[in-house]
Amino acid sequence: MSNRRSRQSSSALRISDDQMIDLVSKLCQLLPEIRERRRSDKVSASKVLHETCNYIRKLHREVDNLSDRLSQLLDAVDEDSHEASVIRSLLM
Amino acid sequence: MQPTSSMNEQFLKKWQMGLQIFRPSIDNTSVSERKRAIKLSADVAMASLRKGTTCWSRALIQKAATEDSFLVRQMLAGIKEETLINRKLPKIVCHRKIVRRSKKILMRRKSRSAMEEVTAKAKKLVKRKTKGLRNVVPGGEFMSNNVLLIQETLDYIVSLQTQVNVMRSIVDAAEAGVER
Repeated sequence: MSNRRSRQSSSALRISDDQMIDLVSKLCQLLPEIRERRRSDKVSASKVLHETCNYIRKLHREVDNLSDRLSQLLDAVDEDSHEASVIRSLLM
Repeated sequence: MQPTSSMNEQFLKKWQMGLQIFRPSIDNTSVSERKRAIKLSADVAMASLRKGTTCWSRALIQKAATEDSFLVRQMLAGIKEETLINRKLPKIVCHRKIVRRSKKILMRRKSRSAMEEVTAKAKKLVKRKTKGLRNVVPGGEFMSNNVLLIQETLDYIVSLQTQVNVMRSIVDAAEAGVER
């Protein structure tokens, strides 16, 4: 029983190593910071993962900021004004 | 892998639908409540693009439903994602403990060379970083498999880029319209 388990987990590790390399390289292509580097620089997997976390957090902050701006726009605009109808036609 | 224009269109339509649902109550709400509705409908719109095929999108919809189940139900009405609202995500935490335990037993049995030590350290570092990723990707805590985690992350990032691009265009256009 324990033999089967150890065989399974070791082969699972082997498969995921190759897949991990492939997936990490795909992540590289998505991250703007790493894409802009020179090709000769090698990037470690942990650096890519770290940059990925940072990038996702940055995107979250952007969404938050954009929602802020939009909610304030809707507030600052007179209901009957031309601007209100512009926003409404864009959004609602 | 890049956000496509059809993704942008679909997101915009869904987001507009969400905002329209919120519209009737808009005059009676505070700025912060509006912001919440804007953000929530943007998230549900983004998640619904995946039609329940990814873990992160299902987790995001469930999370949104706990914040405003009415809005989420209305946005997903008639689509099969509506069933996601009530479905509980499977907790895989206990499986992780078993894997951890069996890995520890394995490690104890092997004798390590220097090369193995280095690889083990690198793997530990990667493990720490994937933990950070799990905190940031919706539903990450349920992804016990690192391969799945990164696949989900890739998809999540592309969807987030769609969300940000469309929202940015709308807000820029609206601000420009108001300034004139």
